[in-house]
Amino acid sequence: MADKIKLFVNGEEVEVESGKNLVDAVSAVGIEIPHLCYHPALGADGNCRMCLVGLEEGGPPLVPACKTPAQEGMKVLLDAEHIRKIQHDVMEFELINHPIDCPVCDQAGECKLQDYYMGYDRKDSRMTVPQVTKSKKLDFGGGVVHDQERCIVCGRCVRFLRQITKTGELGIINRTDTARVNIFPGRPIDNRYGLNVVDLCPVGAMTSSDFRFKQRVWFLKKVPSVCHGCAKGCSITIDHNREKYQDDIIYRFRPRLNQQVNGYFMCNDGRLSYRRENEGRLTQFRLGKNERDMLDVITGCNKEIAHSRKTVVLVSPDLSLEQMVSVKALAEKLGATLSGFSDGYIKTGDGDDYLISDDKAANRKGLEILGIDSSRKSFEEAMADAELLINFNNDLSLSYDESGIRSLLGDTRTIACSTHDDELTGQAHFALAISSYSEYAGTVINCDNVLQHFTKAVTKNNELPDVCAIAAELGSPLQNAGQAYAELQRAIGALSEYQPADIPAEGLNLNDSEAANVTA
Amino acid sequence: MSLLDILMIAIRVAFSAFVPLCFIAVCVWMERRGAGFIQDRSGPNRANIFGFRAAGLVQNLADAAKLIFKEDIISAHIKHKFFFVLAPIIVFFTAVVSFGVVPFADTLVINGKSYIMQGIPIDIGILWFLALAGFSVYGIILAGWSSTNKYGILGGLRSAAQVISYEIPMGLAIVSLLIVYGTVNLNEIARFQGELLFGFIPMWGAILQPLALVIFVVAAFAETNRTPFDLAEGESEIVAGFHVEYSAMKFAVFFMGEYVALFVSSAMIVTLFFGGYQIPFLATKTLITIAKPLAFVLMIGLPVGMYYFAGWIRRSNISHYPRENDPRAFEAKWYIRCFWGLIVIVELLLLAILLCQSGGDTINIFVALLQVCTFLVKVTMMLFVYIWVRWTLPRFRYDQLQKLGWQMLLPLALLNIFITSAVVVALS
Amino acid sequence: MGAKVKTIARRGSTLQERIFLIEIFKGMATTFGHFWRNLLDNSKLYVRHYPEVKPEIPVRWRGRHRLTSHEDGSVKCVACFMCQTNCPAQCIQIQAGERLDGKAEKMPVSFNIDLLECIYCGYCVEACPLDAIRMDTGIYSVTGKDRESFNMGIDDLLAKQGAFTEEDYKKGGA
Repeated sequence: MADKIKLFVNGEEVEVESGKNLVDAVSAVGIEIPHLCYHPALGADGNCRMCLVGLEEGGPPLVPACKTPAQEGMKVLLDAEHIRKIQHDVMEFELINHPIDCPVCDQAGECKLQDYYMGYDRKDSRMTVPQVTKSKKLDFGGGVVHDQERCIVCGRCVRFLRQITKTGELGIINRTDTARVNIFPGRPIDNRYGLNVVDLCPVGAMTSSDFRFKQRVWFLKKVPSVCHGCAKGCSITIDHNREKYQDDIIYRFRPRLNQQVNGYFMCNDGRLSYRRENEGRLTQFRLGKNERDMLDVITGCNKEIAHSRKTVVLVSPDLSLEQMVSVKALAEKLGATLSGFSDGYIKTGDGDDYLISDDKAANRKGLEILGIDSSRKSFEEAMADAELLINFNNDLSLSYDESGIRSLLGDTRTIACSTHDDELTGQAHFALAISSYSEYAGTVINCDNVLQHFTKAVTKNNELPDVCAIAAELGSPLQNAGQAYAELQRAIGALSEYQPADIPAEGLNLNDSEAANVTA
Repeated sequence: MSLLDILMIAIRVAFSAFVPLCFIAVCVWMERRGAGFIQDRSGPNRANIFGFRAAGLVQNLADAAKLIFKEDIISAHIKHKFFFVLAPIIVFFTAVVSFGVVPFADTLVINGKSYIMQGIPIDIGILWFLALAGFSVYGIILAGWSSTNKYGILGGLRSAAQVISYEIPMGLAIVSLLIVYGTVNLNEIARFQGELLFGFIPMWGAILQPLALVIFVVAAFAETNRTPFDLAEGESEIVAGFHVEYSAMKFAVFFMGEYVALFVSSAMIVTLFFGGYQIPFLATKTLITIAKPLAFVLMIGLPVGMYYFAGWIRRSNISHYPRENDPRAFEAKWYIRCFWGLIVIVELLLLAILLCQSGGDTINIFVALLQVCTFLVKVTMMLFVYIWVRWTLPRFRYDQLQKLGWQMLLPLALLNIFITSAVVVALS
Repeated sequence: MGAKVKTIARRGSTLQERIFLIEIFKGMATTFGHFWRNLLDNSKLYVRHYPEVKPEIPVRWRGRHRLTSHEDGSVKCVACFMCQTNCPAQCIQIQAGERLDGKAEKMPVSFNIDLLECIYCGYCVEACPLDAIRMDTGIYSVTGKDRESFNMGIDDLLAKQGAFTEEDYKKGGA
């Protein structure tokens, strides 16, 4: 914990953390200093002048708050007449050449210019000369579309690509009112974090070609969640909406600030992984190739389980801890071999040292903590004489090719519980549709041993059961995710004092206590 | 039994069965156009057959066609389907049958034999009416109950309580009438009213028993569930009351039953208080003697009346907005022609009566026809009163209804009996 | 000071009123007066001879909607969703798409108004920043044989022209 210092804002004493600049320090106690170019992850640039504040004594009368460290006893002036005039003048300046095409701008609703106009300006334009026109709808590559007219040249995007990804595709060319952000000719944005500039852009200059015109942002319901794209488990916000007469659909993922895991950003792949939640989903329950009622299929499964002499239960490393606990309890009840074999989820060499992990499974640490064996050898040995395979959403096509799956299964009967309609569900004897991670609440542990809880975001018209419910139907003694969580609390000591809702948004770092507390 | 006997029985039964049914259309039409005119609007006037709207009567045909072809729904939640179907039948049947005892002309003498002019030749008369009027409420209660619907049951219960409350004053009002008339036979009651009081006032029930008239009319309104006593329907609070769940013809039967009951109770009021079929100052005997002069007066009066009526049709039946070759004027022309044709036929018949010998059966039949017409005119006027009241008065609140029944009408009816008996005893 | 309160004497307490009959006859006289007057002369009924004589629609009347277009016939709407956002009945469904004719960046790919749900409040017209949606068609009666026919698509909405001149519309307080 950083030291606390005391300073004065508008004459009122506030206690803030030391070692921060004024913008961050006072925003932590709820006082907003408007700023456009400053971003905590990118550092201060000081080019927008929006954050100019007055200092009452000592030092210059006007300082940019983003570049001024908070110091003991500082007397900061925010609501003085001249400060407000500066803010108003800066806003007027920014809006001189801004096209004000809010109706067609995707940023409208989460736009800094709109917010600050309403907060600090609220005046009509005094412009009488024609606005400077620039290029619109420039394809910057990497799914980024740029509008130079809307751009306020804060340079956040340029700095991001220089400081964070160190690729530096963007630059600001020309000066004064012809200054504009552009790529170097023939060198589009080409890195796996490029879409973050869309979030970084305080205005609508950077838009995502993927989200462009799909929805107005104020229609979107925003639910915090965890990305299941790889083992990093970035904190995200799921933006979803149910249009009238239609199904609840996810429109985008956005990174959610989590200093323990991903900071402010996330990778493009994870950002676009929302599509997998909308497309290719298995929504039916099938007996062989025939669509049936859920209860019919479950009854069939239960008969199959009763007849089987040797059952193998395969669990996906993407499942939440609660679901793994449920499946484990089911396997113990049935006397079945439980395996978490999922070597195919690991794409060696795909990861980097920032936010992308080699392992594309969201909860492999969970398998380890719950002591679920995931070695190839034991799985294939068990499969050799198995009569029944119950697969809980483990995508075998990642680990085996087509003939490999065929020879692995042989004449083993299969019950496939799957979120997606894939090859295995196509040939399974029983196919059961289950909900995916945007449709249930759960807990996952990422590759750095950070445990995060996420809530249910999407409610589909045709709600599917989650793995816990299916496991309970097939005979697991744990009836639902709540009971599974209670069981989980027994297995992971660090969880004993937390209910799911109490787990901090930043997640629990199990590194300190994990070794000592895991009893399973 | 001669052929004539059988014919006369057929005629009188047919009359008492079909006239109420025909009057349903008249009632509905009068109700709609009357309501329209009372509220300064025109009422239904668009439905037509080849452009002929018959002053809105065609709307009734359209409604009937609609009701017949509508889907007849019995909701799945209705358990007692038999009673559900039975209820409208009870309402309709009791209403039609209770008209049977009302005489629509004096006893007709043909070939020296007398023929009673009422549907069911029984002597209990007024008691028959009371019994059946009380019975028709069973239909309403049954409908409300078997609908398995809270609004239905509330409507049925209201109706039951209302009928009980108003049967008593109605019965008591009739008691005082019976003291005066000395008989329950409606035919005799009607004949009694043909006499003159002090030689110049018709001895109508309305003049002998004004208080009983008020009580009886109020109670009759309540019995027929008409405004201001239509709480059983109470659209504003219980949707439609007992017939919420009814659709198509089952609803139509309720609807028709209600109008038949209206007709019957008008006929009853006319018979008990307004001299029945009697033409004022002209008792049956007098009529027979002055039949020929009367026919002559009619022969002159009818065309004169028709002339003014034709003028009224011509004035009313036009489009009140600029229109080329107004089809309504064309329509009016045909109506007038039809009416003149009718008048010509009536004139010829009257001429035949003038030419035939006096004192014969033809004169008797002519007199009977005159009395039937008188009766129907009186009933129609009473029907208009019903409609008139409906579009004048708002609905009573339930407690007001009970208060009026028990605290005002009942004591008044009892008082009336005492006074009447005292007077009758003193005079005899 | 609050609003002016007009005290109306409560009636029904005098004997004459409590007898009811006299008051009832007074009422009946009134209604019969109307009946008789209208029976003799039905030209003064307070009615509009509707399908034959159409009412005159004032400019400010909120009739069926239409989408306005540029001179060249292309749709003015830029799919900003202001009308859909503002619609209290949620009867407007828009799908936006890329616009390639250079007039704007965005245009509606589909624009549906469900007239069965519309409450004709006119908020969509108020909300529109581009005067792209108006309720000046003068259509006050929308009829159809099935539900689908009440779902106005973009082509239906563009097809109808305004019933009033531009000056009248502007003057009408739009």
